[in-house]
Amino acid sequence: MGDAGLLNLLLYLPVIGAAILAFVPARDDARIRWISLVVMILQLVIAAYLYERFDASDPGLQFATRIPWIADWGVYYHIGLDGMNLLLVLLTAFLGPLVVAGAFSAITKDVKLFYAMVFLIQFTMLGTFLAQDLFLFYLFWEAMMIPMFLIIGIWGGERRIYATLKFVLYTAFGSILMLAAVIYLVMSLQDTTGVTSFAFEDLYRSQLPLATQQILLCAFALSFAIKVPVVPLHTWLPDAHVEAPTAGSVILAGVLLKMGTYGFMKLGFPLFPDATRLATPIIMALAVVSIVYGACLALVQKDIKKIIAYSSISHLGYVMLGLASLDLIGIQGAVVQMVSHGLTAAGLFLMVGMIYERCHSRELAAYGGLAKVLPLYSVFFMILTLASIGLPTTSGFTGEFLVLLGAFGASWQSYLHGSATMLVLAVSAVLGVVLGALYMLYFAQRFLFGAVKAPHGVPGDLGFRESAILALIVAAVFWLGLFPAEPMSKTELASKRYQTLVMTARLPAETRTAQTGATP
Amino acid sequence: MNAHEVLVGMLPEHFLLAGIVLLIVQDIAASRARDGFGIALAAVFAAAAAALLLGTGGAASAPFPGQFSVTPSDFLAKAVVLALAVPVLLLSREDFAEARFHVLVLSSLYGACLMLSSDTFLTLFIGLELMSLPVYVLVVLAYRDTRNAEAALKYLVLGGTASASLLMGASLMYGGSGSLSLATFAEALSLPDPMATAGAMLVITSFFLKAAIVPFHAWAPDAYEGASVPVTAYMATIVKAAVLLAAVRLFAMAPVDGGVADVIALLPLVSIVWGNLAAMRQKSFRRMIAYSSIAHAGYLFYALLGDAPSRFQAVLFYVLAYGLMNLLAFCALPRGEDADRLESFKGLFARAPYASLMIAVAMLSLAGIPPLPGFVAKFLVFRNVMAAGYTTYAVLGLVGSYLGIYFYLRVIQLMFMTADAPARGAAAPRRLMLSSTLLCLVPAVAIGVFPGWVMGYF
Repeated sequence: MGDAGLLNLLLYLPVIGAAILAFVPARDDARIRWISLVVMILQLVIAAYLYERFDASDPGLQFATRIPWIADWGVYYHIGLDGMNLLLVLLTAFLGPLVVAGAFSAITKDVKLFYAMVFLIQFTMLGTFLAQDLFLFYLFWEAMMIPMFLIIGIWGGERRIYATLKFVLYTAFGSILMLAAVIYLVMSLQDTTGVTSFAFEDLYRSQLPLATQQILLCAFALSFAIKVPVVPLHTWLPDAHVEAPTAGSVILAGVLLKMGTYGFMKLGFPLFPDATRLATPIIMALAVVSIVYGACLALVQKDIKKIIAYSSISHLGYVMLGLASLDLIGIQGAVVQMVSHGLTAAGLFLMVGMIYERCHSRELAAYGGLAKVLPLYSVFFMILTLASIGLPTTSGFTGEFLVLLGAFGASWQSYLHGSATMLVLAVSAVLGVVLGALYMLYFAQRFLFGAVKAPHGVPGDLGFRESAILALIVAAVFWLGLFPAEPMSKTELASKRYQTLVMTARLPAETRTAQTGATP
Repeated sequence: MNAHEVLVGMLPEHFLLAGIVLLIVQDIAASRARDGFGIALAAVFAAAAAALLLGTGGAASAPFPGQFSVTPSDFLAKAVVLALAVPVLLLSREDFAEARFHVLVLSSLYGACLMLSSDTFLTLFIGLELMSLPVYVLVVLAYRDTRNAEAALKYLVLGGTASASLLMGASLMYGGSGSLSLATFAEALSLPDPMATAGAMLVITSFFLKAAIVPFHAWAPDAYEGASVPVTAYMATIVKAAVLLAAVRLFAMAPVDGGVADVIALLPLVSIVWGNLAAMRQKSFRRMIAYSSIAHAGYLFYALLGDAPSRFQAVLFYVLAYGLMNLLAFCALPRGEDADRLESFKGLFARAPYASLMIAVAMLSLAGIPPLPGFVAKFLVFRNVMAAGYTTYAVLGLVGSYLGIYFYLRVIQLMFMTADAPARGAAAPRRLMLSSTLLCLVPAVAIGVFPGWVMGYF
């Protein structure tokens, strides 16, 4: 099998896994768990192999498959790896076995259905990242909602139905407007160039008038911004996170939220570059608001899961800031930040799940001094906390530092051209770093230090399975913090491509001259 | 008219007729009441297979020129309608064993086929009546309480109104043009003559009535709730499919623009929104499906906004996907006294996991969530509407379809997420249910995964 075949195998392995599970008796929980874990590990091995084989000097699509699918509409089954989705695919495959292993003890009801749903969401997430055709992308994008709806709704906490319906109704609203925009975009591509195609590459060449670009950007951006989520569209996230089972939170924070930022990077901004450049200050402002507002809210939460949920909003604000800066360093920082947040948030949610399994409480006030009784747990928790606030040598530092560097680079340029807005925004983003350190350290201090207290007596420390999961995450955090050069070299060309696409004017020729004529 | 054309061009109809005759003969000849299921199934299957083979083989003929003609796409439309009847027959196995049920179903299907080949308003009217009259009887056939009778009466009265409206419209157009040909409809749409316009509008109204478009929809929830499950399934899928495909035939090459487009778009838009909103507060599953079908009728009429060649493809694909998925839900539906109440869906997954999964798939598809075929169907319709330049209507329709997601998901929520009395004795699916659901699911998955392949034939 060639490498393209391997990429397809990577994508369909979860479906195969779910199909295997269908034939395992529903009561044989242990076998279901181990089969799921083996399939997920196999997937990680394939992803790691493809990552190694990925050629950093090739700017195009690698290991691609392109087969006509709905010929009449110009829809192709087109998947492939490029620098933009490479790390995210690796992240998804990396978190897969951890999610499965992490749920070994937590999920005891309808185990078979649960792992089938985890497989399905893995499949749809990988599909969304790998798709190079807008129709295929939308298919996976929207389908992703179903397994998540069930995961939160079936295995969630007390208010799970409210939370899951809120999640679905939010995301579906964004999607439906995006669908309208997708159809309109393809139709206008057909009208202007005569090409009927959903391929990203063709759509990057569309020439739309500015007003159309702005409307379509709004529709796409709404859908992506709900997923990220960008303040003020974030209110579904805390509910979903709090009610979701640990595995659901890990998938949600680890990968699902990156769909939004990936969507902006792959589609939203490069498809409508002229509208994007005009909107950059607004996007940056929303990003900074997300950073600061998310951090402020995290500071006052009493529920451990909510703290991490709001910190996610704040951290993804950096990604948006990096993408909107249109500075190569900032963009690269955004990519690293996506992966870094995926690792640290996933790790923290897993750790919250572990303590919840022992003590059945998420109230921060119920805990204290865990460092004395749970040394191993506390070490892991501290490392992930420090990574989350961006301590040097961890992945969080690489991401946040580069993003801020990029944002300052870009805003300094605009300052020299006489606009101070961007500079103010960049400075405010730095405030987020301080706030981030504040709420995370405050959280860790109350959680780990002080007088020992825990609901229902002192819990036991981590077992082997739990330590192994966390050790893997911590290793990845340090790998990305200490040796970022290697992964970043693989994403560099894609980031450059994104920058070029957004920086290049793509208005129809006649309107461009009309515009430059109007504003000398 | 020559014998060969009559033989081949009406082959599906002949199979149905043979089935009807055989059933009646058997009923008279046999000393005791005999089961008509086998004959009916064989007749419908043969008719569907004949229509499919003739359609894909590119057969066209005009057995009765000017009255009745078939093109390959007409054969395909008949094949879809007839194929959808197969799960309905399987579904009725437990409720109806007597031959009279099967005679009525076959007659109704005959009417549907006639309607899909009609060239004049006369044939169209005969087909429409032949399709509808048996259904009025079918609704009361499982007479249990007054509700069935009320449902049947409502359906009958409104069906009668539709027929009257169709006849009135046809005669007004006949007065202007001196012809009963369906082509006068397309002309009447573009003529400035008020008489012709009134005639065309009356004809459109009759189709709206039959398809349950707001504000002509009030009969549907009562009829759907009052009838027995197989009959509800028949009305929701086959009657709706036949009416919409006949509407495509009626509009044929007629350009839909200007004021006509607003009529064609506005009421269906209201149907989409109202159907989806009203479905939210239903407590009965079949009433909910009734409102859902009102919304789906809206999407289907939307398809007429597209340019002429694309309408048939969109409508046929839509009724296929919609019909299969509706039937899937009905086939998997648990039976029993209270089975129709949505309350009784609580915790169904623990009791009947297979049935719950099937219903969930059906609901997600009806909600238009990919990768299920309902999504491709919806995409096809809205793509055509937008291609024809009705961007505003398309966006409003999509937002209307968003409103529908909630109540479809509520069914899933009740089945999977709301625990009921701990009844862990998971029942294995009955063999009949297994076969009928697979009969719906497998083709649905096929058209969902390879829509391009199916549409190539349409």
